[in-house]
Amino acid sequence: MAAVTLTNVIKRFGVYEIIHGANIDIADGEFVVFVGPSGCGKSTLLRMIAGLEDISGGEIAIGGKVMNDVEPADRGIAMVFQSYALYPHMTVGQNLSFGLRMTGNPKEDTDRRVKRASEILRISELMARRPKQLSGGQRQRVAIGRAIVREPQVFLFDEPLSNLDAELRVQMRVEISRLHKELGTTMIYVTHDQTEAMTLADRIVVLRGGHVEQIGRPLDLYDNPDNQFVAGFVGSPKMNFIKGRVVGRNTRSVTVELVGEEKARIIQPLAGAVPETGAKVIVGVRPEHFGNAGEGDADLTVGIDVVEHLGGTSFIYARTAHGEDLVIQRDAAKVPETSEITVSIRKSYLFDENGQRLR
Amino acid sequence: MRYQNATAYRFLTPYLLIFAIFWVWPIISSFMISFQATRTVPWRFAPTFNWGRLIGDPAFFNALKNTLLILVIQVPVMISLAIVMAVLLNSPLLKARALYRFAFFAPVVVGEVAYSAVFRLMFNLDFGIINKLLAGVGLVKIDWFSNVTPAMALIMIAVTWRWAGYNAIILLAGLQSIPEDVYEAATLDRVSKVKQFFYITLPLLKPVIVFCAVLSIIGTMQLFTEPFLITERGGPGGGTETLGLLLYRQGFRSLNFGYASAVAYTMAGLAITITLVQLWLTREPK
Repeated sequence: MAAVTLTNVIKRFGVYEIIHGANIDIADGEFVVFVGPSGCGKSTLLRMIAGLEDISGGEIAIGGKVMNDVEPADRGIAMVFQSYALYPHMTVGQNLSFGLRMTGNPKEDTDRRVKRASEILRISELMARRPKQLSGGQRQRVAIGRAIVREPQVFLFDEPLSNLDAELRVQMRVEISRLHKELGTTMIYVTHDQTEAMTLADRIVVLRGGHVEQIGRPLDLYDNPDNQFVAGFVGSPKMNFIKGRVVGRNTRSVTVELVGEEKARIIQPLAGAVPETGAKVIVGVRPEHFGNAGEGDADLTVGIDVVEHLGGTSFIYARTAHGEDLVIQRDAAKVPETSEITVSIRKSYLFDENGQRLR
Repeated sequence: MRYQNATAYRFLTPYLLIFAIFWVWPIISSFMISFQATRTVPWRFAPTFNWGRLIGDPAFFNALKNTLLILVIQVPVMISLAIVMAVLLNSPLLKARALYRFAFFAPVVVGEVAYSAVFRLMFNLDFGIINKLLAGVGLVKIDWFSNVTPAMALIMIAVTWRWAGYNAIILLAGLQSIPEDVYEAATLDRVSKVKQFFYITLPLLKPVIVFCAVLSIIGTMQLFTEPFLITERGGPGGGTETLGLLLYRQGFRSLNFGYASAVAYTMAGLAITITLVQLWLTREPK
């Protein structure tokens, strides 16, 4: 087990800078998830930790040792690839033991490690099969098994569940969580799926365009996002954003009027700088933070487009008079049959025009 | 649906007719001719005439020996060379890759007569560049055309030059279909590049290697151009005569179509047998 430290890590491909100085501290035994949309640099960052990509600037340390110029095999890491990267011509047993056999590891120790990994992942009965004879979930287990036999200090997962169907993904998510508890090893996991990030991580690193947007515990990111991007990325369905304008201010709060909704005004207390009157702002409201009329700060009457019933909960897809789309979460029993509904904003977040949180 | 099928067959009829007349019928006809004595007029049915001669004909066994010798030596050498060339072509370190790809493939599109003439000049005893090079490094000159062993070597060199690049391009396609992350996984497993080649690249390339080998076996069984043009009709003294050349000599110089047909069927039978044995030896385990 080992801590991983990224200090001002930069990655350039030719003249293009892809990672712009990432600073991340990962504690020993921690499960950290890198999350972000496609092209944000999360996989590149993981591959740099693995040593599969050169580091253009900054430092990566594993277990206190700088790894910039250390060969991938000597970094004490094991990686699980998105496509599993199993050796198709070898059986499961051979896949698990290949690396150890090639490096002359004693046979008894190799057998012991393979047996342990196969027991942990419950794949003992698959040892004689080839990858093409396995289901997607089984292949993923073998890929994880191949990482386990290396007994690494750090596990790296590169979108390991994205090739699986929804049901299997949930199942494997639980398996990986269980594995982390059982092994207690540092794990770094890359995904574009914020649900995976929220459910698996001790801490989440949100990336966008090669920048670290925010690092924090899942619920901290959910409850206290630093900016509009993180607020929108974390949570499903995503946070609603409604344009607003500052119509009043004092030293510790602002009054915001929602655009096109003259009666809908929100008073937001602020500890930091207070924007000028007339400034454009964005009001963020999570779907579950809409209440019944009169329950919150401001009431909005919206037209209902579609209602999705998920059993206990329903999502109302609605539109404000000004044409802004909203998603409202309701108990299934409380969804009205009407084409219009008046909702109240019980809790909201305020962002400036550039998407930075005002608080 | 049936009407659509009928329309489709009407469109196919011209092709099928030509195919039947110029492909299927000659195959059947030559099989029948192989059971006839064709040096007499009129031809007469004599089932053992040609096939019986084949078994005892020293010229046939000489041609068979030469063909198999070329097959056994040249095909493995060429495939090995093609694998090395494909790996080099696939290297990320290689610059001007498209140029090399073209250069490797170019021999196939060069006219057979032109390339044979160039080879004859290059390997000429007195003024050929090869002998000049040999002399330049202090080795004795080789008379490539008058001695059997050098002549056979020359045929193998020429065939290898012509087809190695072609096979390398096919193998390159196979190499490029091996996912990069398999190698990355092996790198993380501390498997050296050399071991990656032998334990990952070669096994994963096996179907393509087998494909190239089958093509080469079929090609070598039919080998004709090089011994005809470079070593002057299988010379010296039949030392490089192949089955293809024997067939030509019997069929089109002696006009002994019956015997030539028997040789042709023997060639086809051997090619099929060797290919089946090879496919069986290199089959995927279940």
